[in-house]
Amino acid sequence: MQQPAVLELANLRKTIKGKEIVKGVNLTLNPSQIFGFLGPNGAGKTTTIRMIVGLIKPTEGSVTICGYSVAHNFVKALSNVGCIIESPDMYKYLTGMENLLQLAAMDKKISKQRINDVVEMVGLQHRVNDKVDTYSLGMRQRLGIAQAIMARPKLLILDEPTNGLDPAGMTEFRKLIRKLAYEDGMAVFVSSHLLLEIQQMCDVVSIIKQGSVITTTLVQDILHDDKIEWQLNDPEKAITLLREHWNIVAVRLKNDTISADIGQHSLDKLNEFLIREGIALTYCSTKQHTLEDLFLDLTVGDEIV
Amino acid sequence: MFSLIENEVIKMISKKRLLFVFAILIVLISVFAYGQNQTQERTKAQLTQRMGITATDDWRKLADQQLIDMKNRLDSPYRGENSKASLRVRMEQLQYNLDQNINPLEQSAAKFTTRFMEQSIFLFLPLLIIMLAADMVSGESSSGTIKLLLVRNVPRWKILLSKYLTLIILEVIVLFFAFVLSVVISGIFFGFGGWFAPVATGFKVLAGKLDSTSVLNVPQWNYSLMVYSLAFFVAVVVGSISFMISVLVKSTAASIGIIMSTLVAGNFISFFLSDWKVTRYMFMVNLRLTDYLSGSFQPIEGMNMLFSITVLLGWTIASLIISFVYFTKQDILV
Ligand SMILES: Nc1ncnc2c1ncn2[C@@H]1O[C@H](COP(=O)(O)OP(=O)(O)OP(=O)(O)O)[C@@H](O)[C@H]1O
Ligand SMILES: [Mg+2]
Repeated sequence: MQQPAVLELANLRKTIKGKEIVKGVNLTLNPSQIFGFLGPNGAGKTTTIRMIVGLIKPTEGSVTICGYSVAHNFVKALSNVGCIIESPDMYKYLTGMENLLQLAAMDKKISKQRINDVVEMVGLQHRVNDKVDTYSLGMRQRLGIAQAIMARPKLLILDEPTNGLDPAGMTEFRKLIRKLAYEDGMAVFVSSHLLLEIQQMCDVVSIIKQGSVITTTLVQDILHDDKIEWQLNDPEKAITLLREHWNIVAVRLKNDTISADIGQHSLDKLNEFLIREGIALTYCSTKQHTLEDLFLDLTVGDEIV
Repeated sequence: MFSLIENEVIKMISKKRLLFVFAILIVLISVFAYGQNQTQERTKAQLTQRMGITATDDWRKLADQQLIDMKNRLDSPYRGENSKASLRVRMEQLQYNLDQNINPLEQSAAKFTTRFMEQSIFLFLPLLIIMLAADMVSGESSSGTIKLLLVRNVPRWKILLSKYLTLIILEVIVLFFAFVLSVVISGIFFGFGGWFAPVATGFKVLAGKLDSTSVLNVPQWNYSLMVYSLAFFVAVVVGSISFMISVLVKSTAASIGIIMSTLVAGNFISFFLSDWKVTRYMFMVNLRLTDYLSGSFQPIEGMNMLFSITVLLGWTIASLIISFVYFTKQDILV
């Protein structure tokens, strides 16, 4: 029998106080996949995540985790999940370690050794016996991550996980997530505003806007969509030349700048050609098409609703 | 389930709220005991002045005199059964005092401990319980930690039940400490005895009159036990209602505010609105259960121990049903 997907959302909808906040989200997550959930403020990311972990009930549609329905088999479904939702809230009057012990006591398969291991993984070993009250945001975020991965879940859900992490923390975090996904086979669901983060960390990204997923793509596909930009003295002539001789469609961006997707052609040969045709090149660059461009293309100009 | 309860207890201890409750208990009991001590001194002084006896030595004479007097009254053919019964009880007590050489004017740890709870049961004890119960759930909602608990592989009703059972445990602990602290602190003032002195109980109120036909004497320890059992019952009732408010309201401050004002309002109501029939079904006016034991209480015509206990049980069960249904169904949006 084929193994069920780690996470499956089918036509998930949520209406709160007469306002439809999530409008029919479908998605599937497989083991070892790092999935990015990207959207502007108020898009419905957190609301979707709350439905996944059963904090709120979907108005319509279903959530299935490792083959178990969250609505009908909550305990089995949630046995496979570790998560941080919105912010890493912990008991402030307990120490980091006491917090972890509290949560570990709710799940018998977590050993003391495992707790020490995850504390080390998130780099909190020196502060774990201090009260959470005294932690910085980044330290609380680390504790949140420790708590989420403690039970070795099959599905790890992180809402804005890098919020508050320093650059070193971010790099470590990215490394940790990669290791968990590619070595331990965890499926990871990351929601974030930080486009670069998602771009550097995820395999697949969905962009959500006003409660609907508007596109789902492999991050790889977006990144390989390279464009070249030239700054030169006669843009009109260059566009004509490129079209006639190389069958490349270039567009004029500014007065003296044109841009084109050159596909398999060699940039060296093209530049040589243009110079030979008497065009003076001032500047030439490879402009990597980033997720940010896609994100802004898709979502710019919309008001927060 | 055991580990869930253990978790709750650890949280409660770390929050230092229990410690706070104990501190209040110690302060209040000490003040109360000191006050009683002062009153006792003053009464003795007054007695000496007025009657020319030294209360400490001559109380036996007085008691003998009263006893003979009562015996005469008891033999009188014009006495009703009702007053004969209370006379008999009164005589039993005097006889006991004489036999055991106990000055009835002297306080004892046993008397104090009982009286303290009788005085606390309708306001002070409920306030202590509210301090513990009112933030059990709302505390987790306002700090956001409720999310941590509800995304584990544990059903919601178990989480709530573990909290409720923890509350019951805390109620037992609070009463136990109230008892122990009363005994120890008042014992220092008045000595630790008095546990076997007879106390009258079994009064009934019939048609607006105190009916004492079924009155009998029980030893003080037995009476104390009854008082503390009723206090435990009241603690459970108030705990359950506060618990419900704590489930329904997301902020601790609001939930403490709501339940405290309800309680205080209840004390007004029993004075000012006592002829309004509905008020007897409010939990607040039914909390003085121990007064039924001593026969001193009837705020509203027609109320008795059974009635009050039934009303309180009704409130408790309703609170629990509402708490569990709401908690397991609600959307967590904090
Ligand atoms: N309790 C609530 N009552 C009413 N509307 C709500 C409630 N919670 C959220 N919303 C609305 O739902 C929409 C989506 O909120 P959500 O928290 O899911 O956004 P998000 O994508 O996580 O945003 P952010 O990036 O800011 O975290 C918002 O428009 C918000 O106003
Ligand atoms: Mg959010």
